[in-house]
Amino acid sequence: MNLTRFRSWLKWMVKGQQLESEMETEVRFHIESRATDLVRKGLSQQDAIRQARIEFGGIESYKDAMRASVGVRWWGELGSDLHHGWRLLCKNPAFTAVAVLTLALGVGANTAIFSIVNAVLLRSLPFPHPDRLVKIVASNRGVGARDIGFSVPELDDLRSRAGVFDQVTATISGDVSLTGGEHPQRLEMLVVSPNYFSMLGTSAHIGRVFGPGDEEQGFADAVVISDSLWASEFGRDPGILGRRVQLDNDPNTIVGVLPPGFRHPGSTIATDVEIWATAGLKGNPFPEYDRSLRWVPGAIGLLKPGISREQAQSRLNAFAAQLRAEFANDYPAKSDWSIEAEPLQDSLVGNVRPMLLVLMGAVVLIILLASVNVANLLLARASGRQREMAVRLALGASRARMIRQLLTESLILSLVSGMVGVLTALAALHFVQFLPARIPRLAEVQVDWTVLGFALLVSLLAGLGFGLVPALQSSKAEIAVAIREGARGSGTSGKTNRLRGLLIASESALAVVLMVGAGLLLRTFWGLLQENPGFNPSRIVAASLWLPVPDNPEMDRYAKPEILNTFVREAVRRVRAIPGVDLASMTTDLPVTHLSRRVPINIEDRPDESRKGLFSEATGVTPEYFKVLQASLVRGRLFAEDDQPGKQLVVMVDESTARTFWPDRDPIGRRLSIGIGRAVTNLLWCSVVGVIKDIKNDGLDQSGTPHVYLPIYQIPRIRVLSVAVRTSLSATSLEPQIRREIQTIDPNLPVFNVRTMNEVIDGSLASRRFSAELVGVFAVVALLLASVGIYGLLAYMVSQRSHEIGVRIALGAMPSTIGKIIVSRGVGLTGIGVLIGLPLSGIMAPMISTLLYGVRPLDPGVFLTVPLILLVVALLASYIPARRAARVNPIVALRES
Amino acid sequence: MSLLDTQGEIVGKAIDLLQGTLDMLILKAVSLGPLHGYGVLLRIQQISGEQLEIQQGSLYPALYRLEHQGWITSEWGESDNKRKAKFYRLTAAGRSQLHAETEKWNRMASLIASILRTTPEEI
Repeated sequence: MNLTRFRSWLKWMVKGQQLESEMETEVRFHIESRATDLVRKGLSQQDAIRQARIEFGGIESYKDAMRASVGVRWWGELGSDLHHGWRLLCKNPAFTAVAVLTLALGVGANTAIFSIVNAVLLRSLPFPHPDRLVKIVASNRGVGARDIGFSVPELDDLRSRAGVFDQVTATISGDVSLTGGEHPQRLEMLVVSPNYFSMLGTSAHIGRVFGPGDEEQGFADAVVISDSLWASEFGRDPGILGRRVQLDNDPNTIVGVLPPGFRHPGSTIATDVEIWATAGLKGNPFPEYDRSLRWVPGAIGLLKPGISREQAQSRLNAFAAQLRAEFANDYPAKSDWSIEAEPLQDSLVGNVRPMLLVLMGAVVLIILLASVNVANLLLARASGRQREMAVRLALGASRARMIRQLLTESLILSLVSGMVGVLTALAALHFVQFLPARIPRLAEVQVDWTVLGFALLVSLLAGLGFGLVPALQSSKAEIAVAIREGARGSGTSGKTNRLRGLLIASESALAVVLMVGAGLLLRTFWGLLQENPGFNPSRIVAASLWLPVPDNPEMDRYAKPEILNTFVREAVRRVRAIPGVDLASMTTDLPVTHLSRRVPINIEDRPDESRKGLFSEATGVTPEYFKVLQASLVRGRLFAEDDQPGKQLVVMVDESTARTFWPDRDPIGRRLSIGIGRAVTNLLWCSVVGVIKDIKNDGLDQSGTPHVYLPIYQIPRIRVLSVAVRTSLSATSLEPQIRREIQTIDPNLPVFNVRTMNEVIDGSLASRRFSAELVGVFAVVALLLASVGIYGLLAYMVSQRSHEIGVRIALGAMPSTIGKIIVSRGVGLTGIGVLIGLPLSGIMAPMISTLLYGVRPLDPGVFLTVPLILLVVALLASYIPARRAARVNPIVALRES
Repeated sequence: MSLLDTQGEIVGKAIDLLQGTLDMLILKAVSLGPLHGYGVLLRIQQISGEQLEIQQGSLYPALYRLEHQGWITSEWGESDNKRKAKFYRLTAAGRSQLHAETEKWNRMASLIASILRTTPEEI
């Protein structure tokens, strides 16, 4: 397009309205001038005008050609298509409402789930070098123990000898008590190396973060707090910097507050980290500098720039091999100690990825279903408009032009739905923070341009998808047939009916896939609810305590076993005395919480090689604990008050641990040693005195980890304690009483997380509940969409063929036969859908196997129930149109035509 | 211009117009002085001695196309009967275009004429 033409085109684009009216004036001038001349030739005024118009020809088509001459016709047509489409939508409010709601549901669900997927999985971590940050994982691959933690010498070697990392920080999440306020409070603390923040590239919102000046052997004085703690505990006091606070009874200074968006990119114990402390991990109160004491649970590394993950991994392999050779005593050959560098983002969100992908898959199926349903609606409407189409085709409109107009209509529909959908999603996302599931990075969920772009894309694709089929179909209208059929009022050719049938069948197939997925997830979830946890969770209330760890071991009163044991006994006695409490006990770990400490185990009289690198989870309990839980003793005895320090050290094991450790022997009286606190070289042999039925300590969906139970009195250092009581009282009414009793003994102890055991179990299943119920809701939506589709097709069929039905009945067909024909059509199409959907589900189901527990991907129950439900619903959806068909009054039907 | 084929066809009483000739006739008509659309029609009929009858509406897409190409230009003025009308005038570009078209037409016409004159003896 050269400049002149472009200018002319632009003039039209900008001043289109004015030029349109000029065009009109010009044509009118022509016709009137011609009419005047014709009057002069002797015609009457009226005849002259008429004659002039005839001579001019089709005014509208010439105007169209004029627009085409300057290249603006396409725009003009788009404008008129939009106008026309909008008017049609407004003229059929019922149709529009159903279509928009259906699609908005699909777009809304997609937008909401995608915004979560985008924030959690797709966006890189909000740090300057997200691709260089890795979680360092140490494993004893030889015995299948992953992420076993580090000793401080190992961390030093990772920094100085591995040759892969720019920086390495330890991460030790833990509890800490904050005293000085109204109540002593338990906070989520993270102990890190001083370079933690500079490594992540985070600076403080106010004050400062840790720096080289905070290098100490033990804890540094400086602590940094989160924005939410600043708000909740200190009322956003700008004078917070320099404030002295008591943490585990040690004075510390708050030197900085982090920006609101900052979250520790790793796992935590219960909540987001509220307070960060830093330490050199080499002086009090930390254990001695010993390579075999792997008490640091985690480490994050910043890879050197320009080093690929593969290079890093191969260097780390060499590094691990070197250490294994150098310190053969600390790295038994059988355990095959190794180091991996896992991208930090993967380690953070890896466990929710399958779940989110399943949800994303579910909403994609929903939008497909919604599109098919709307396509069906459009087809039904298109057959009503067949005459309009045929007349326009007969008058010379091109097919391309017709398809374009129909597609414009669908696009208006999809864009309106898209907007409604995005608004729905925005509203839905307000509830995201209330989700019980612990999904990392949930706070980062927002509707940004990426999400809006996705919503637009989904809407447009859906619009094209559901618009194209009906558009192609109706523009193909055989003019003569359509005009004739249209005149007769039938309007549905056999071809359109077949196409609609196909859509219904595919809808059923999609619904089957979604329902099978939901069925598998729900069966998993229900199965877990039915799972025997090994104890009776009802009527148990638990509360957690934190015994402070002061920096100076001299100040640590609970380090002395006598004081600790006196405290435990006194606490149990006092809580037991609360009216309404039947039994009281203490434990280091509550069931299903997966917080147990993993400890190295040695088994006596087992060949030397096989006992290296064994691990077990160890839980300390008071004698009444198993009675509170109502767990059953299989052999031997429970612990007694007499199992104290200085007496024979004893342990109990659960049944499967007994089978693992002593497959062919009676475990009672056997001995094992547990490495707690001190080096494993200093073996303390404990005798097995009892075997308990398996208790699901690590979560209902976990099994296979060995468990040993110790008398709490024989464990030297304990920090986290939970009171567990059997009671008829509620957690809320017990909370103040438990707190009062504990703080009567020591006013500085925080009491937190008071809840019933059933709540603990619910919490452990929250993430499964979330995904199973959400997919379940999607499956119900799918079922509804499919049944609406079936109902719509049959109802339409009946109304279109009432004449034919009337004739049949008049000729003696039984109404019940007519009904049967209708029902069998609906159920038949669904059946075809089922036949397609089941193999599809069979292919898809194994993909979600990581989310299943206790259910096989091809679970026959689910694969039988789903088609049954769908067929029953199809039957119901067919019933109403069928009854209507059976009740067609032949006289009325025949008179109507 | 394919649009001319379908909509600019000339229904001649005696002579069918060849493709593209309507544009040339319009350029010629306005080269003799500014005209409004109806005036173009009248002038072509007048010059042709009423031999050509043009489908009247088809003039306008052609006028718009010629203006779009910059060969004619338009402005609003007053007609003989004191009414608002749009007048078209030839531009410099239009003049050379008319010249070129006329040349081409003449060459073509004499070529075709000589072909049609050919007798068997001349081959």
